[in-house]
Amino acid sequence: MIYFDNAATTKPDGDCLKKAEIYLTDKFYNPSALYAEGYNLHLDLRSARENILSHIADKSKYDLIVTSCGSEADNQAVFCAGRRGNIVTTYGEHSAIFNAVNEAKIRGVEVRFAKLNADGSVNTDSLLSLIDDKTSLCSVIHVNNETGAVNDINFIAARVKAINPRTVFHSDGVQAFGKIPFKMSQNIDLYSLSAHKIGGLKGTGALIKRKTLQLKPLIYGGGQEGGLRSGTENVFGIKMLEYASGKVFDKINENFAKINAVKQKLCGLLDKDLFTILSSEDSSPYILTVAAEGVRGETALHAVNDKGLIIGTGSACSSNEAKRHSRVIEACGVDKKLYDSVLRISFCGNNTSEEAIKAAEILNETLGELKEALK
Amino acid sequence: MEKVVIIRYAEIHLKGKNRGYFEHVFAVNIEKSLKGIRHELRRQSGRYLVEGFSEDDTDLIVSKIKKVFGVHSVSVGYKVNSALDEIFSAAEGVADKDGAFKVETHRADKKFYLNSPQISAEIGGMLLESNPKLKVDVHNPDFVINIDVRENGKTLVFSKFESGADGMPVGTAGKGLLLISGGIDSPVAGHMIAKRGMKIEGLHFHSYPYTNMQARQKVNDLSSVLSEYNCGFTLNVVSVKKIQEEIHKNCNGAYMVTLLRRFMMRIAEIIAERNGDQCIITGESLGQVASQTVEGMTMSNSVVKNLPVLRPLCGFDKNEIIERSRKIGTYEISIQPYEDCCTVFLPDYPIIKPKLEDVLAEEAKLDVEGLIKDALSTLETVEM
Repeated sequence: MIYFDNAATTKPDGDCLKKAEIYLTDKFYNPSALYAEGYNLHLDLRSARENILSHIADKSKYDLIVTSCGSEADNQAVFCAGRRGNIVTTYGEHSAIFNAVNEAKIRGVEVRFAKLNADGSVNTDSLLSLIDDKTSLCSVIHVNNETGAVNDINFIAARVKAINPRTVFHSDGVQAFGKIPFKMSQNIDLYSLSAHKIGGLKGTGALIKRKTLQLKPLIYGGGQEGGLRSGTENVFGIKMLEYASGKVFDKINENFAKINAVKQKLCGLLDKDLFTILSSEDSSPYILTVAAEGVRGETALHAVNDKGLIIGTGSACSSNEAKRHSRVIEACGVDKKLYDSVLRISFCGNNTSEEAIKAAEILNETLGELKEALK
Repeated sequence: MEKVVIIRYAEIHLKGKNRGYFEHVFAVNIEKSLKGIRHELRRQSGRYLVEGFSEDDTDLIVSKIKKVFGVHSVSVGYKVNSALDEIFSAAEGVADKDGAFKVETHRADKKFYLNSPQISAEIGGMLLESNPKLKVDVHNPDFVINIDVRENGKTLVFSKFESGADGMPVGTAGKGLLLISGGIDSPVAGHMIAKRGMKIEGLHFHSYPYTNMQARQKVNDLSSVLSEYNCGFTLNVVSVKKIQEEIHKNCNGAYMVTLLRRFMMRIAEIIAERNGDQCIITGESLGQVASQTVEGMTMSNSVVKNLPVLRPLCGFDKNEIIERSRKIGTYEISIQPYEDCCTVFLPDYPIIKPKLEDVLAEEAKLDVEGLIKDALSTLETVEM
């Protein structure tokens, strides 16, 4: 089975699992406990947070708050940094931001959405025109999870700060962390990431926060994570995130080039009579979004699944037509005829060109058959 | 003081010489529904008693029994020795904390030293004395305390009557095959027929990969609900993918649904006869959708050779069907928005009043026998 749905989740890394296993057995203590066994774990986690952080940020200027997932990190950014005035975000956000800001709107904060370019990246002019002196939060996704479009968030953050230096700038980096070579500039205040997209575990995410930014917690309790995210630490999950991120960042440039070649290979082999490529050339190498006009995404997904290829889709097979297609794909201005037919093919560092060749074969053959049947 | 559940049955008492058979099936069905819960079931002059269970299981037992067809009503009460103080304790246990009440006594044990009105008066008096918030109103009581002095030295005391599913015990009226789609109607149709005592099994058509796994799971979930009423449920699943593809490829698209339904009925009859089912049941309601006109039904009915096709919902409005669906607990599952095979390849303008000669002309473009054989080779069976 070829697994090309790595933007949904990745397989936990076996080496990291082995290395972290001791945190489920011998080192099971509560890191908040006062005895040496607990306190040593506390120190262990402190260095783990710094190690994770140091891959993309200056650890003297940023903290890492471990959360239960990327969505929680996004929610903390919205509900704890966007509490007054207006929030400016984009139509290309993941639901964790999109639905959170819609809730913020119900709670009385104005929400403004910036338009997208055709590839799913944010239209910077549109975004900047929405920022004013009342903007408390601006949130822009780093890599669009549906199209793979990469936003230059350092550039955008600098422009936002130039208009309103008090605006908190957040980015959802879930599809970027460990994949796109990147260092956070100081204009970025908050950044969300998730462990299971890079070989870590589901149930572990993080919010990177500029040290000088005052932020309220979303979850109150025993004061863990510097009081910003209470709850007994998920030691095993955090260590897995540390090890997995160490591994992917070691090879980030190498993998970037390698996976780009895999993506280009697959892209080149896809039958252009069957597939419309929606991802732009400069999109993340890890995400290739295509559409096969006339065949529902979910039908294609099941049919290729039966032939040994797992991919994702941009839409759910709902009998409710309005819910059937993705709002992000619609916001990109994609041809309506393609709404139902979007497929997301996504990679991890371990994927190979051989897999891409095989996958292209399966996709061409299956979609050819389906298109014929549905003609 | 032992907690008991009293079960009264519905139509069975109208039966004559074969009443014993109905009672037997009824008892077997109750035992099936209570499988896995410790209890004893006893028959007692025209009703059944569940006893010997853990008090924690009371609600579970009542909810299960209420779904058994043939049950008219259920009461939770106490079984005590026929002594006034014990009867009083039980009466206190079933009485509301305030309001107007009356006591009704039935005395089968004619040797008991008080007669029925005297027992009612005694217990009523004791209740009034023990709880000043209670008062007696024999004409308009808020609740009634029933006391049943049995001949075996035991007395049953209960108050509330909960309605059961009524109908006839499943298995007393033959076997039928229900076409189940995942929509609102077909589970209701199955429920209605099972209520008359017919043991039903299901036949679902899917069109994977055009339909998805959630749609299939939805039918499994609906079948589970039906299995509680039907004392188990066998679900047969057949793929009509190839049939739909061939119709789409070769025939006028407007006839998709008409032709597909004819295939479904043919396959249903084959499976029904193979499994010993005596009829086919569908959830069709007259005029609800394009294929459910009388002309449409004629087209699908005309391929069924030997078996009757029961359409219990034909005279129902959608709202009436929805109401029943909610009542039996299938509505929330049915409205999950996953497509069934009838909406894939759906034409923009289906034929509403198909004519047989046109349908036959379209069908002549297909290898009907071959496609049926192919579809039957995909048959899977799941026991709920």
